[in-house]
Amino acid sequence: MIQIRGVHKEFAVDGAKVTALSPTDLDVRRGEFVSIIGPSGCGKSTLLRIVAGLETASGGTIAMTEARSPAQRVGFVFQEPVLLPWLTALENVRFPLDTAGVARQEAEDVASRLLRLVGLAGFENALPRTLSGGMRQRVSIARALSYDPLLLLMDEPFGALDLITRDRLNDELLAIWSETRKTVIFVTHSVEEAAYLSDRVIVMSPRPGAIRSIYEVDFPRPRGEATKLDPAFHHLMANLRRDLQ
Amino acid sequence: MYKALFSAARTVVAVIVAWWLIVILARVPAYLLPAPDAIASRFLFLAGNADLGQHIRVTLGEVVIGFLIGGILGVALGWGFVRLPRVGRLLSPLILLLQTAPKIAIAPLLLLWLGIDMGPKVTLIAIVTFFPVMAGAMAGFSSVETSYRDLAILLKLSPWQRFRRVELPFSLPPIFAGLRIGSTQAVTAAVVGELMGATYGLGYLLSLGQENGDASVVIVAILLLSTMGWAFHELIRMIERRALRWHVSQRSLEAAL
Repeated sequence: MIQIRGVHKEFAVDGAKVTALSPTDLDVRRGEFVSIIGPSGCGKSTLLRIVAGLETASGGTIAMTEARSPAQRVGFVFQEPVLLPWLTALENVRFPLDTAGVARQEAEDVASRLLRLVGLAGFENALPRTLSGGMRQRVSIARALSYDPLLLLMDEPFGALDLITRDRLNDELLAIWSETRKTVIFVTHSVEEAAYLSDRVIVMSPRPGAIRSIYEVDFPRPRGEATKLDPAFHHLMANLRRDLQ
Repeated sequence: MYKALFSAARTVVAVIVAWWLIVILARVPAYLLPAPDAIASRFLFLAGNADLGQHIRVTLGEVVIGFLIGGILGVALGWGFVRLPRVGRLLSPLILLLQTAPKIAIAPLLLLWLGIDMGPKVTLIAIVTFFPVMAGAMAGFSSVETSYRDLAILLKLSPWQRFRRVELPFSLPPIFAGLRIGSTQAVTAAVVGELMGATYGLGYLLSLGQENGDASVVIVAILLLSTMGWAFHELIRMIERRALRWHVSQRSLEAAL
């Protein structure tokens, strides 16, 4: 559903040209869960931000098929929750709908259904500062899903969370994904996270940022603790680690 | 709020009692410092006379209008300067010059330009309130994190939505700090303007009392002015508390007051 062809990005620092992303080709199928992994400075976030329209590429094309309208927004989850602190959890989730002029009742229904989906039923009226880091990130995911985007982009969404919370949110993300059938591009620097979640893992190398290798991941779904005990899972992680060297 | 009112009332009563004692014990002549009961009867006399209400209305009207203009201008300019730093750099020396010039020195000029009615007073009040508000607004608008700019782009917010629903709420705490400073200076600016030339207003009453050598009229005017300034400041605080219930700053203040 998305075709990236020759997308690259350069910028100038003190007159010297720096390449953030070499020309990159990537196809993502509808409903696929793709992870992009790589060390800092490999351009993985740059690629994601270009797809989201937050940055402009120096060249190349991105074609989105099946987009319902050119104004179709993509879902984006940042590393930080980026919630509006004066709005409750429910109001944060419905914020994109309110600003797009969706009817009150409809927005309310969608938002409370999504809060239930991310496991936050009962926290509708909580302000962000009263929620834990993991809960805030769930609100952020619910907000990204509120306008029902075809494509969900996630930029190290669990990078700032502790490992226990992160493991739990990984499982919940898979549950949400299988229920909503979104296409997901997930940027991370965790080998385990990438291997556990994805249909496909893209490994990128830094300076200049470029795709180094691509792994198809065909562990059966739904995945769980059994996946993490599978020797093939460890073999994949070893390969990913080696490619990251 | 009630606690604050109670402690304020206690202080006022203590001051009145001390004042009375000093006047009686030290035999201060009434033309210098009248006793509180003389002030009270003077106030009642002036209140019975329709003019006192008119004086209060005129000053209050100037303060409210000037403050609103100054506040809106402060937020708008603060936002503009953060958005267009080049314009900010161009205009900020001018604004600073306007602020460092003594207000009491600007007032005669404003009177010459704008006449003797509300115009020059409202302008003066707007000048003194807009500056702290603008400083607060600039601090607020420039500290909105870039991830929120990204959010606005992703959600395709219009410039107005971005301002009204993201940037303004984020900037409200420092804007309110500026509004509070402005609110205390607004009444002073009104009096300065009125002292320079007016036909109505508490500042005019003040100069009238001085010309007639009537200390009790002057004191009535002072008391009304400070009450007005206090009430105005409290009103701003009340609005602030309601608007910023979500903000951490309100927890510590709630505990302190």
